[in-house]
Amino acid sequence: MAMAQDELSPVLQEFDGLSLGNYNPYRDEMAPLMISSEGIVATDITKKFFAAAATLEPGTLIKDGYFTLFESVGALEIMDPKMDSGCLAPGESLDEDYDVTRPLLPSEVLGIIDQLLCLEMAWHLGYPLSQTILTNVYIEAMLMPCPTTIQDADFIRDRPEGTPRDPMFAVLRAYCLGLLKTCWYVNERIKFEHYYEEEDFVTNTYHRSLLDNIDRNEIRDEIMEARKTIHNLGHRISEDMAQALGFRLELRTAFLRAIELSELRSNPESLSLPWSQMKAIWEPINKSRHLGTPVPEAFSTKIQRRLASTMPPRPIVQLSFEETYGHFKRLFNDGIDVLKVLDYTDSQSLLNFVQTFQAQKPQPLVYIRALLQFFLFKDMIILGHLSIRHVMDDDLSIVVLPLSKLLDPNNDRCEVPHDARFAMSHQMELFRQRAAQSYLDISRAFCQNRCRVRRTLCHSIQDWETVQMDAEEIDQLLQIQLDEKPMMYQTSLSVESGAAGGEPAYSLPLSSWAYLYKLRLMEWIVQLGFELDTYAPDELAGMYWYLSYLAKMRASHVERIQKFTVARVNEIRLTPHTALPDEMEAKYQRSMSYLRLTLLDAAVTWEMADALSCLYTVLGRLGAIVAPPRPYSSDALRYDIRMKPFAPIGLPELPSYDVFEHASTQAETSTANLLEFASRAVGVVKKGYEALSKLSEKEAFTANCHSRWVAGTKNCFKSVIATSIAISTVKTAVDKATIRGRDVSVALKVDIPRPDKLYHEWWIVPKVTEMLTS
Amino acid sequence: MDATRMAELPGELQYIQYEHKLEAQYLPAIRALISKDLSEPYSIYVYRYFLYQWGHLCYMALDPIDASLIGVIICKLEPHASHSPPTLRGYIAMLAVSSSYRGHGVATSLVKKAIHAMTQRNADEVVLETEETNIPAMRLYERLGFLRSKKLHRYYLNGNSAYRLVLLLKSIDPDSAADLSLDDVDHIPS
Repeated sequence: MAMAQDELSPVLQEFDGLSLGNYNPYRDEMAPLMISSEGIVATDITKKFFAAAATLEPGTLIKDGYFTLFESVGALEIMDPKMDSGCLAPGESLDEDYDVTRPLLPSEVLGIIDQLLCLEMAWHLGYPLSQTILTNVYIEAMLMPCPTTIQDADFIRDRPEGTPRDPMFAVLRAYCLGLLKTCWYVNERIKFEHYYEEEDFVTNTYHRSLLDNIDRNEIRDEIMEARKTIHNLGHRISEDMAQALGFRLELRTAFLRAIELSELRSNPESLSLPWSQMKAIWEPINKSRHLGTPVPEAFSTKIQRRLASTMPPRPIVQLSFEETYGHFKRLFNDGIDVLKVLDYTDSQSLLNFVQTFQAQKPQPLVYIRALLQFFLFKDMIILGHLSIRHVMDDDLSIVVLPLSKLLDPNNDRCEVPHDARFAMSHQMELFRQRAAQSYLDISRAFCQNRCRVRRTLCHSIQDWETVQMDAEEIDQLLQIQLDEKPMMYQTSLSVESGAAGGEPAYSLPLSSWAYLYKLRLMEWIVQLGFELDTYAPDELAGMYWYLSYLAKMRASHVERIQKFTVARVNEIRLTPHTALPDEMEAKYQRSMSYLRLTLLDAAVTWEMADALSCLYTVLGRLGAIVAPPRPYSSDALRYDIRMKPFAPIGLPELPSYDVFEHASTQAETSTANLLEFASRAVGVVKKGYEALSKLSEKEAFTANCHSRWVAGTKNCFKSVIATSIAISTVKTAVDKATIRGRDVSVALKVDIPRPDKLYHEWWIVPKVTEMLTS
Repeated sequence: MDATRMAELPGELQYIQYEHKLEAQYLPAIRALISKDLSEPYSIYVYRYFLYQWGHLCYMALDPIDASLIGVIICKLEPHASHSPPTLRGYIAMLAVSSSYRGHGVATSLVKKAIHAMTQRNADEVVLETEETNIPAMRLYERLGFLRSKKLHRYYLNGNSAYRLVLLLKSIDPDSAADLSLDDVDHIPS
């Protein structure tokens, strides 16, 4: 159970400044309240209240039905120093008595700036301003009272006119101006996008204005001035010191510039310049920090009492400079990388970009994630220049409808209601309107923290279930307009059951598209379950079986799409008896290439999942993985909870517990056969990942993210090798035991690494070692 | 920490159900024991919120010699609204055992008593959150049959994430599977 974080309550804040010292609730005569207003009849209930209260025992709780746990958690105990923000220890002063006008040495300015860098990063990581930047006395003096002009924005106000600023004050002031303005922009960006308050980030500014009234150009000029001031100091400070301070000011200018340019959402090359600049000066900044002298007294938790917050002062979040260094370095690299999304190539590359970018460990900071959302979705214009329709049609053309009349933009020009083109245009528009949000939400979901991605996808699959159903209705209307003839289609299932010839079927392109996404979302939910360490060791055999089940569904669905696409395009080819024009051929090949890629990806997924499922089944049989006793639970009930997100889905229907249990224990298959099967599957996967990692950017649909994707694929390949080693270790042990006789048990030690110790988070490969037995 | 632990418990511990009349005797000790592991203390109202309404779901482990408090579990049991029809959901809000008495199954006994009491009152499920770094707690609950249903990013004030653990006591009615996604907002704000 967690405490509620500080919910801003202006009313309680008001009480903060009131003296309650003379208040005695038990005095007999209360001063009568003089309420006079039309329609109000005041009744003094004081006596009644005390009389009633006197009948209660201490600790009795009187509450109405609407008093929630949330409210009880929010309650404070006056005079408890951990809850009462006004409670002071004997002799403690309310405020810090730090003199912001005292002269500062250059090394002290550097020390304060470096401490501010650490606090800035702590804020980026999710800690509130109150425990980070707003603990600095110079910042507080600059922000209170709220400055409305650039001249006012200073920790020393009312400077006599004409007297120049002390050079060191000018440097620190300029740094703080740049810092605060950056924080304002960062805060606004995050607030505007989808994020989780307090979980990802705290946007509360505690009624402090982060210089929102002051123009960034004025601030930039002040920073420039300060850099000149350092220059003019000449030999009065060491060259190292002058450089060190200069770099820090340059960092502030560059950060503001990076933010300013990002608003353009185009031309990533030029947008990345200030990010590269920050990356370059970050090294000398790190190397010069020894020149600084810390000034811990310039930071105080007491300032929190002056902020619009009911929380008592909480400790300053102290990141070390080493940690800060690492996080900023990541921030600058991610800042450069995220811009590459702006170079749009195709819809599938875009999705792969978002996924591979967000799958990085550690995940990019929330500001970068917000920036990615801003690039993707601002004003419903994708990446600053594409309509949603453009991206969706691109996707439909890749996945299900290459060269289809349905995507012909000329349909829109047809104004004859009886014309098929008119109907196509209308129905397609209806479909886009129906599916656009769900489609964009996939990318939006992947911009959240990993825990939320999984939770959000669990909702999305229900949404896609209805998108698929609605799409099927539109498909049926469109097949009339297209005069589509049904095709005899044989599913792999009907082949197995011996039904020859298959059944007449329609292509149903739009619902096929939706179904494919739903299947992918379902796989991702299971895979994120592995990544987030959600499953117990004895669940792994079953969960890998289910993943394999879903991947097989996807493969057979993609095969179906493939068959219909090939047949349809053949018709186009045959009608004019000529080869397709280059551009059309390219579109067709692009779609074929995508479908092959998806089939290969589905195949490696199911084979690898099968291999691991069999391996875990064997480890369970051999007693190397032991389920806990679980006296209050049953396997079937746990299956209910585990599969809860999938239960409402009609297609593919959740397998019954019996089917699941049968499939994940494979009781009728011998251990030797299971291991044999696992080995064979691993062999197939190995070849599959080898083939995948050789694909070009174009074949893999990984424009602008190919290296990240290849790295991920190679990590999967390492997981395969590790799996094959684990399988042979088990095999050897089992073989030995078989030779030595039936009663000899196999002694294996199994170590299941945590996800961050795996080659790839989605493949939990056990480390198996044989234990020596006498 | 193990050095300060007892090799053996001082005899058979007494497990008793909390009652309101015990407030003066035990509430200060309960608060002290639970606050030890918290960065931010709960106000007295949080304790009373639970204890006054669900004292019957609170159990204390007491020293057999001086009846001092060794461990405590605090729970609630309420209809959970986001499902239709709602489930009767038990929630383990707090569990603490004095550090020198750990490793003797005191916490497990307390959780078992709470589950038992909730089962008697017809609970459909029992849930709780636990810090991802608290391996002993997760092991304890998982041994009893709880399952990690989801991970909660930076759930605690210290920035640590948590897992939601769920123990299903009755089968989910498939006809009520209207909103069975993982994202049911819960009672404890964080």
